Amino acid sequence: MASGEEESGEFYLRYYVGHKGKFGHEFLEFEFRSDGKLRYANNSNYKNDTIIRKEVYLTPAVLRECRRIISQSEIMKEDDNNWPEPDRVGRQELEIVMGNEHISFTTSKIGSLMDVQNSADPEGLRIFYYLVQDLKCFVFSLISLHFKIKPI
Amino acid sequence: MAAPDGEALDFEPEDDDLMDEDAAVDAADASPSAPPLPKLKSAITSSSSLSAPKKTKGRGFRQETDTNRNTRLDGSDFDSLTTEGGPGPQRSIEGWIILVTGVHEEAQEDDLQNAFGEYGEIKNLHLNLDRRTGFVKGYALIEYERAEEARNAIENLNGSELLTQTIYVDWAFSSGPIIDSNRRKNMRPSRGERRSRSPRRRY
Repeated sequence: MASGEEESGEFYLRYYVGHKGKFGHEFLEFEFRSDGKLRYANNSNYKNDTIIRKEVYLTPAVLRECRRIISQSEIMKEDDNNWPEPDRVGRQELEIVMGNEHISFTTSKIGSLMDVQNSADPEGLRIFYYLVQDLKCFVFSLISLHFKIKPI
Repeated sequence: MAAPDGEALDFEPEDDDLMDEDAAVDAADASPSAPPLPKLKSAITSSSSLSAPKKTKGRGFRQETDTNRNTRLDGSDFDSLTTEGGPGPQRSIEGWIILVTGVHEEAQEDDLQNAFGEYGEIKNLHLNLDRRTGFVKGYALIEYERAEEARNAIENLNGSELLTQTIYVDWAFSSGPIIDSNRRKNMRPSRGERRSRSPRRRY
């Protein structure tokens, strides 16, 4: 279970989802760094909302769990070559450095599994789709428990 | 070995200039058919020069993307509860949060409640699900009001068995950055320049 990949080596993760529209640049972004720093930013100008920026240091145990979630997804084997290009509706970016691999994937927003199914690479995009949800879920729990805010 | 205070805090990417937010859209929407030269300029690349070349993959390396993506998460105006002092458990707004890993995929909140409730009243329990399978993802986050409740739970339940699986229990938040052999090479060399690889961490 504890492969070397999950235990040591460089690690970095950044996820971004956003678009630019009538409420300005609305986005959600978070980042895990190998020193444990988790940064979270959520910007919306809707109803004069302002940007939320939070940061906190995580323990090695939390980073290890994050690595496990990534390894288990096998996202590092995928490629964004045949994924939908970002468009007016929005863009997503997922950048991960783990061990000797560095991915930086970009695609459009994915509304539902239907979009996944209709894409040119449903298998790969499905992995991305679920991994992003699992990561968001993890980050939202960490941020909301620590700061007592409700993300989104 | 703990590093001297302050040394680890130097973690801002060198690239600190704030770019114009709006100028970025055009770059992204331009023509995807003619990808410009690869642009390797993310937060990590500046610090990875010392290690072996990485296998890279993805449009992020080939396309001119959002030019402010390197700066959105920069800056120092992030809210934080971090306090003074060396790394140790970090208190959250309303209590102390611990992470449980190795949780069985069919575990129920009650199973955790029974095991962890013994060390204090559980103020909050997040038992998140795998979005694909609908089963438990494998971790839980638990909040206690008092530090000693959390500490007792960690000491007594780390490495114990829950539903046939070994669970690991530790603090979730830390008051400072992780210092280990992997990071040290990216920071100013500490006095003595000890380079030997430390054994795997075990908690």
